[in-house]
Amino acid sequence: MPAARGDGMRGLAVFISDIRNCKSKEAEIKRINKELANIRSKFKGDKTLDGYQKKKYVCKLLFIFLLGHDIDFGHMEAVNLLSSNKYTEKQIGYLFISVLVNTNSDLIRLIIQSIKNDLTSRNPVHVNLALQCIANIGSKEMAEAFATDIPRLLVSGETIDVVKQSAALCLLRLFRTHPEIIPCGEWTSRIIHLLNDQHMGVVTAACSLIEALVKRSPDEYKGCVSLAVSRLSRIVTSSYTDLQDYTYYFVPAPWLSVKLLRLLQNYPPPEDPGVRGRLNECLETILNKAQEPPKSKKVQHSNAKNAVLFEAISLIIHSDSEPNLLVRACNQLGQFLTHRETNLRYLALESMCLLAASEFSHEAVKKHQETVINALKTERDVSVRQRAVDLLYAMCDRSNAEEIVQEMLHYLETADYSIREEMVLKIAILAEKYATDYSWYVDVILNLIRMAGDHVSEEVWYRVIQIVVNREDVQGYAAKTVFEALQAPACHENMVKVGGYILGEFGNLIAGDSRSSPAVQFRLLHSKYHLCSVATRALLLSTYIKFVNLFPEIKPQIQEVFKQDSNIRSADAELQQRASEYLRLSVVASTDVLATVLEEMPPFPERESSILAILKKKKPGRTVDPLDVKDQAEGAVGSAAAGNTGGVGVSVNSQQQQQRQQNGQTTDLLVDVLGDIYSSPPQGGGGGVPTQNNFTKNNLGTGDGGTQPVDNLKKLSWKNNGVLFENDLLQIGVKAEYRANLGRMTLFYGNKTAFPMLGFNPSVSCAGELASKVSVQVKPVESTVEAGAQVQQLINMECVEDFTEYPSLVLTFMYNSVQQKLNLKLPLTINKFFEATDMNAETFFARWKNLGGAQQESQRIFKAAFPMDINATSAKLSGFGMQLLKGIDPNQDNFVCAAILHTKSQQIGCLLRLEPNRQAQMYRLTVRASKESVAKQMSELLSEHF
Amino acid sequence: MIKAILVFNNHGKPRLSKFYTYLTEEMQQQIIKETFHLVSKRDDNVCNFLEGGSLIGGADYKLIYRHYATLYFVFCVDSSESELGILDLIQVFVETLDKCFENVCELDLIFHVDKVHYILNELVMGGMVLETNMTEIFTRIDEQNKLERQEAGLAAAPARAVSAVKNMNMNLSQQIKDIKLPDLPQAIKDLKF
Repeated sequence: MPAARGDGMRGLAVFISDIRNCKSKEAEIKRINKELANIRSKFKGDKTLDGYQKKKYVCKLLFIFLLGHDIDFGHMEAVNLLSSNKYTEKQIGYLFISVLVNTNSDLIRLIIQSIKNDLTSRNPVHVNLALQCIANIGSKEMAEAFATDIPRLLVSGETIDVVKQSAALCLLRLFRTHPEIIPCGEWTSRIIHLLNDQHMGVVTAACSLIEALVKRSPDEYKGCVSLAVSRLSRIVTSSYTDLQDYTYYFVPAPWLSVKLLRLLQNYPPPEDPGVRGRLNECLETILNKAQEPPKSKKVQHSNAKNAVLFEAISLIIHSDSEPNLLVRACNQLGQFLTHRETNLRYLALESMCLLAASEFSHEAVKKHQETVINALKTERDVSVRQRAVDLLYAMCDRSNAEEIVQEMLHYLETADYSIREEMVLKIAILAEKYATDYSWYVDVILNLIRMAGDHVSEEVWYRVIQIVVNREDVQGYAAKTVFEALQAPACHENMVKVGGYILGEFGNLIAGDSRSSPAVQFRLLHSKYHLCSVATRALLLSTYIKFVNLFPEIKPQIQEVFKQDSNIRSADAELQQRASEYLRLSVVASTDVLATVLEEMPPFPERESSILAILKKKKPGRTVDPLDVKDQAEGAVGSAAAGNTGGVGVSVNSQQQQQRQQNGQTTDLLVDVLGDIYSSPPQGGGGGVPTQNNFTKNNLGTGDGGTQPVDNLKKLSWKNNGVLFENDLLQIGVKAEYRANLGRMTLFYGNKTAFPMLGFNPSVSCAGELASKVSVQVKPVESTVEAGAQVQQLINMECVEDFTEYPSLVLTFMYNSVQQKLNLKLPLTINKFFEATDMNAETFFARWKNLGGAQQESQRIFKAAFPMDINATSAKLSGFGMQLLKGIDPNQDNFVCAAILHTKSQQIGCLLRLEPNRQAQMYRLTVRASKESVAKQMSELLSEHF
Repeated sequence: MIKAILVFNNHGKPRLSKFYTYLTEEMQQQIIKETFHLVSKRDDNVCNFLEGGSLIGGADYKLIYRHYATLYFVFCVDSSESELGILDLIQVFVETLDKCFENVCELDLIFHVDKVHYILNELVMGGMVLETNMTEIFTRIDEQNKLERQEAGLAAAPARAVSAVKNMNMNLSQQIKDIKLPDLPQAIKDLKF
C-alpha cells in the first residue's frame, strides 16, 4: 500500500464515485444537493459525531467546493476539529479553514486560540499546521494576534529547522498585509544572519523574507549583501556532492541560488572590492558552466542550470557595470535565441530586452536584429512572438528604426488579435520617436489605421493630428495622403476621423489640384458620412463648417447637408445641435467672423506622447521606454544632439492651450468641439483645480503614479458642466440643463484603464426626505464599460419642493476582478432651478423690504477663501443662476442679485446681497427669500465659494 | 510570489485549486475556467510560459504550466519568480506526488484531495517556495502518515475496500492514464492521444 493512500473513507469514496458516474450536470447537482442536505442534517442532528465522521463530511464538502459549489456551512465543525487531540482531525480542520475561510470572516477570531495552542505545542508537526494556517489566511487580525510569537519562533535557538523555515515564510506573508509586524533593531541582524544557517531550506525561506524586507528598507538590511555573496559563492564553487539532497539533477541548490541572485538585484554592485570580486567570480563561474557539456540529458538538469544562469544574467544587467560580463551575457543570450528549446528562446528574448537598455550592450544586442526579426516571422508560439516584438521595440534606435518599424508593420498584418493593440502603440511610438522625415511618420500611422484600424486607439490618431498640426512642413503631405487613403472603397472609421480633421484644417493646401478640389474633398468625406458613428459624424460636421470658411464656393452644398432632416432633426442631440448651430453660423456670420471663429488650430503644447503613457499603463514595469533609455545612451556616447528628442518640436505659450492642458484631457487637445464638456477651463482666479493639475503631471510623468481622486461636487454647484469625479480608474463627467423646475443631467462614465469594467452599475437615489422633494428618473446603462470607452447615463429630475441634501450616486463595478464601489453625490442643488430675474432698483428695494421678516433672512459673515476678484465673483454668482443687478447698490463694490426658484408647487423669490470688505478679507452675505428654508440653504451653499 | 496553483484535467475539471490571495469562490471558478481556456488551446511543444488572463491580473502575472498525460499543472506567479525555477518546482511537486502515491494518476488526486493539499503545503507556503528537497518533503509526509496510521488503528481496514472501488473505477474509465514522469518534453509527445 502506497504511503499516501493509507486509510480511506468509504463514504467519501462512494460519494465521489457517484458524482463521477453522473451522466449529466443536472444529475450531478442533484446528487450534490442530496449530499449537502445529508451532511447538514448530520451536523445539526442530535447525535454527536465522532472525529472520523466529521473528517469524512469535511472531506466531502471540500470535494464539492472544488467542483465549484458554494459551501455555506460546516465552518463550526471545522473549527471544532482544530482543537481535537488527534492529528488527522486537526489536519483536516486546518485544511477546511485554509481553503474555505475568507480573511474577514468572524470565524478567524474563534480559531486564533486554537492556533495559539498549536503554536506552542511540543510537536513540530502541530506547530507547522498552525503556521500554515496563519500563512494561508494572512489577515491583519492574524498579524496582530501573532506579532510576537512568530518572530520569536524564527530566531529562537530552540526552534527546529522545519519550523524555522515555515516561520520565515509565515512572517513574510503577514508582513505583506501588515508591515509593522517586523520588529526593528537587533532583530534586523538576527534575521540577516539566517542566511548563514546550516539548513539550506531555512536559508531559502529566509532569503524570500529578507528580499521583501530589503524592498522596504534597503539601508537597514544592507548587511545581507556580503552574506548573500559568500553563501552564493559556496554553492557555486562547491562540488555538488557537498550539498547532497539540495542538488537537483546535478545542479547545486538551484532555487537558493536563484533567490540569492534576486536578492542581490536590490542593491548596486557591492562597494567592498573583496565582495565585489567574489561576486564577479561567481557570475563568471555560472557563465562558464553554461558552456560545459550537460551532466544529464534530462530536461530538469538544463532547466535548473539555466534558471540560475538567467538569474545571473539579470544581475549582470542590473549592475550594468562590468562591460566584460555584459558582453558575455549578451553572447550567451544570443546562443539561446536559436536554441531548440522554446522556453529558452522565450527567456532569452525577455532578458535581452533588459540588456538592450544598457549602453554597454545596446550595440551588442543590435547584432541579433536579424535573428529577432526572424523569430517574429517563424515562431509558432504567440508568447514567443510577443517577446520578440518587445525586444525589437527595446533595441530600436535611429539607425534601425525604419527597418524595425517596417518589419513590425509587416507582422501586424498577421499578428494575433490579442497583441495587436499593443503592437500598434509600439509602432506609433517608434515612428514618432525616430522620425527624421515626418512624411514617413504620417505614412506609418496611416498604414496602421489601414491595417489594424480596430486596434488603433484614440490616442494614436490624436497624436498624429497633434504632430501634423504642429509641423507645418508635413501638413500638405498629410492632407494629400489622407485624401488618397480615403479613396479606398472601404476605409476604417478612424481613417475617416483623421481624414476629416486634417482636411478640415489643411484641405486648402491640396485644393489647387483639380483632382482634389474643394467639392471633390467634400463629396469624398460625405460619402463616408452615413456609415459612421455619431461621434465621427459630429467631427465631420465640424469639418464641413471649416470647409465653409476655407472654400466659400461649396457653402450651398454644405448648408444642404446641415439642413437634412437626418442632421438638423437628428435623434442625437449633439448632431442636432451642431447641425443647427453650424447652419446658423454659416448664414449669419460675415466672412471675417467666420475666419476668426474657424481659424486654424493653434499648435499643441509640447508634451510627452500620450501614447507612451498608455503603453506604460498597459504594462507597468515591463516596458522599457526607448525614449528615455536611448536618450541616455546617446547622451553618453555623445552622438546625438541634446534636445532632439521629442517628436513635436514646437512649444507654444498660448494661454488657452495651457489651460486646456491643465485639464489633462487628451481629447480636448484635439477635438475642438467634440466632447468639449470636459475642457471647461478653470474660470478666472476663482476655484482653480489644483488636484486636476496634479493628476495631469502624475499621469503623464510617470504613467503609473497614483492619482489623487478628484471630486468636484462643490464646484459644480455653480457650473452645469464639468468633471464630477476622477481617479485612476475612471472619470465621471457631468453635463446638465435646467428649465423651470425640470432638469436633465447626463453623466459620462469614462473608463481610463486598459481593462473592461464589468457589472457596471451606477444607481442614483434620493434618500429620506429628499425623495419627496426631488423626483429622479434614471436611464439604465450597459453593464460593461470597455477599456478606454465612455458610456452616458441620462437622468431626468424634477424639483417638487426646495431641498438641502444631494441625491446620491452609488457606483459599483468589477475592475480587474476586484469589486469597486464609489459613493458619490450628484451636483444637484436648489439654485439649479433658479430663473435669473432682472429688475430695476425700485422694484428690488421694494421686494427686499417686503422680505424683511427675520424668518426670511439669512445672514453670514465669513472670511474670503478665494482672492477677492470682482470678475471671478460675478462669474460665480451668475453661475449660481442669479441675475447680477448692476448699479443698484449705492456701494459699487457690493453685489446684488435676484432669482426665482421654480418648484412644482410654488415659485420662491430669492434676493441676495454680498458685501466684500477688502481690508479685512471678509464678506457679509445676506439672502432673503419668501421661504425661510431657501434663504438658509442658499446662504450655506454660497458661503463656501467666495 | 505564487498567486495560485491549479490542477485540472484535459476537460477543464478542477482537481486541485489553491489560491494564495483571497478571492471569492465565484472568482476562483472563473479563473480556473479562464486559465484552462488559455492553456488548453496551446500545442504541446510551445513554451511553458504565457501571460496571465485578465482575471488573474493580466500581463503582470505569468502562467507557468506543464501538461502531464491527462492533467495540467498550472502555477500563476508574479514577476519576482524565476520561470524555469517554477517549472522545476512543478516537476518536484509531481515527482513527490508520484512517490507518495506510487505511480500517481488523476484518480489519486480525486480521491485524496486532502493528501494532495498536505503535500503541497510542504512545498509552498503563503505563496513562497518552502522546500524543494524531495527527500526532506517525503520524510515529512511520511511522518504525518505514521501519525495517521497510529491514530487509525483498527479503522484502517476499510482502506482496502476503498482501493477496490478505485480499481474498479480505473477499469471503467477509459480516459485515465497513469501519470508517468516523462523526460520532458520528448516523452509528452508519446503520451498524446
